[in-house]
Amino acid sequence: MAENISDLVLDGNAAAGCLHEIFASDITIAQIQCEACSSARPVGSLRLYAVSMGAVLRCPNCDSLLMRAVNTPHGRWLEMSGTRCLRF
Amino acid sequence: MTATETATASGRRLEWQVAEVSEIVIETPHVKSLFLHVTGWQGHLPGQHVDIRLTAEDGYQAQRSYSIASAPEDELLTLTVERVMGGEVSPYLVDELRAGDRFQLRGPVGGYFVWTVATRGPLYLIAGGSGIAPLMAMLRHRERRKAPVPTELLYSSRSLEDVIYPEELDAMAQHDRNLHIAYTLTRKQPEGWVGRRGRIDKAMLIEAPFPPPSKPNIFVCGPTPFVEHVSNLLVELGHDALAIKTERFGPTGA
Amino acid sequence: MNDKAPISRGFGSGRRAQTPKDRVPPGQYVTTDFPVLSAGPTPQIKVEDWTFALQRGGSLIGKWSWAEFEALPQTTIKTDIHCVTKWSKLDTVWRGVTFDDLLKAAGVGEPAAPYIMAHCDGGYTTNLPIADLIGAKGMIATRYDDLPILPVHGGPARLLVPHLYFWKSAKWVRRLRIMEHDERGFWERMGYHNYGDPWKEQRYDGD
Repeated sequence: MAENISDLVLDGNAAAGCLHEIFASDITIAQIQCEACSSARPVGSLRLYAVSMGAVLRCPNCDSLLMRAVNTPHGRWLEMSGTRCLRF
Repeated sequence: MTATETATASGRRLEWQVAEVSEIVIETPHVKSLFLHVTGWQGHLPGQHVDIRLTAEDGYQAQRSYSIASAPEDELLTLTVERVMGGEVSPYLVDELRAGDRFQLRGPVGGYFVWTVATRGPLYLIAGGSGIAPLMAMLRHRERRKAPVPTELLYSSRSLEDVIYPEELDAMAQHDRNLHIAYTLTRKQPEGWVGRRGRIDKAMLIEAPFPPPSKPNIFVCGPTPFVEHVSNLLVELGHDALAIKTERFGPTGA
Repeated sequence: MNDKAPISRGFGSGRRAQTPKDRVPPGQYVTTDFPVLSAGPTPQIKVEDWTFALQRGGSLIGKWSWAEFEALPQTTIKTDIHCVTKWSKLDTVWRGVTFDDLLKAAGVGEPAAPYIMAHCDGGYTTNLPIADLIGAKGMIATRYDDLPILPVHGGPARLLVPHLYFWKSAKWVRRLRIMEHDERGFWERMGYHNYGDPWKEQRYDGD
């Protein structure tokens, strides 16, 4: 998968490990709804950016920021203000 | 099979385990398959991946993800790694790693890009380069279970010597009337090549016997530009975007 | 570090042995590539449509079109850059307008307010003390290696603050807002260090 050469867009599925650390489960199969455009899809199909810094997940329909997740040695961070809801 | 159920359990802690290299197989000049023994491995679903972590003597660590290429039915876990020039991890895995070496591994992860024989409908797999790895896990699982699922693999490679698992794929297709494999070589074709040439285009995609009404389960895997190009074509041909599962591998393998 | 982690025999020894320790901050390795890391799709901005703004609180104190910005005093520097994801790139050459020259052009003397927020196309933000931009420490760069900065690397213009981790060198910068009180930007509010000094290895909040 992505080497440290060029960190282009990936699929949400590639963030499965990072997100599992935050949610204590695999959320790539959960349905997520975009607050900005109301479209819904599995987390695994979102557009994933910046995977070497954390997980930045965007709506494939409107590029809106749905979720950010970072694992650091001092704690885990999660932000989901762009998400209307997440259904497991 | 209980291993496949455990693989998607929620609330299961994701721990770093130790993988030991059992065997290394040269697939192409740029690609090797690593056969790993992982103590306490709980099994996986075809299409899932693992995160691996290497630790240098001074404590420096690097982490990457690799798709599992083996079927859940197989004894050892297989990762098929392509050397990315200038990369930090893949040149180490391809050029330095030896049998007996150990590294950390976490997984399996990723329940989204998964197919099992329990899934209904035809299976349409489209691979670019080393993107064949997770799709091979699906094909091997299908073969181990002798499942008569109508299946098509369209496999794009730079040249014939870059095709990974050619004998195994040919053997699978020869003995299975429900499996058809088409190859396209994009940069160099051998003399007398009668297969397809050049990038995947609409004409190649239409050749598969799975038009949109047949609702195939479509999996596309390879470098990011390849995946985006193929997905766009599939949508233009009328396939439902949500039925196309993609796994982008990142930069193009130049 | 996890002391159960098995050591990968021979991993990294070649590459990091070439790392001159006095030039490269702790935990970094030198690369000859220029890795791309983005938090969103690459904006495709035409310079005809590009403007750059300097704000103090809610007020605009300077605004430049591309032509006007290019007419400002240009400075070329050669510097090392350090990404929090552990790669460092040495002797990179950039050209642009220093923050000092930008303030002069806006007619601002001593900026009283101590903080800056950079705002970028695509929504990215990063914050830093104004003290880390003045005195030739920061610029708005438009050329890399004598050529216009490529969109994937932040073109037409990016912030360049090489003494801090490179996430502070915000790509696609369009506006610098001078603030009375510090506010955290895109990564700083998600667990990354508020300041980001590579020589003190300030990668994460709490380091």
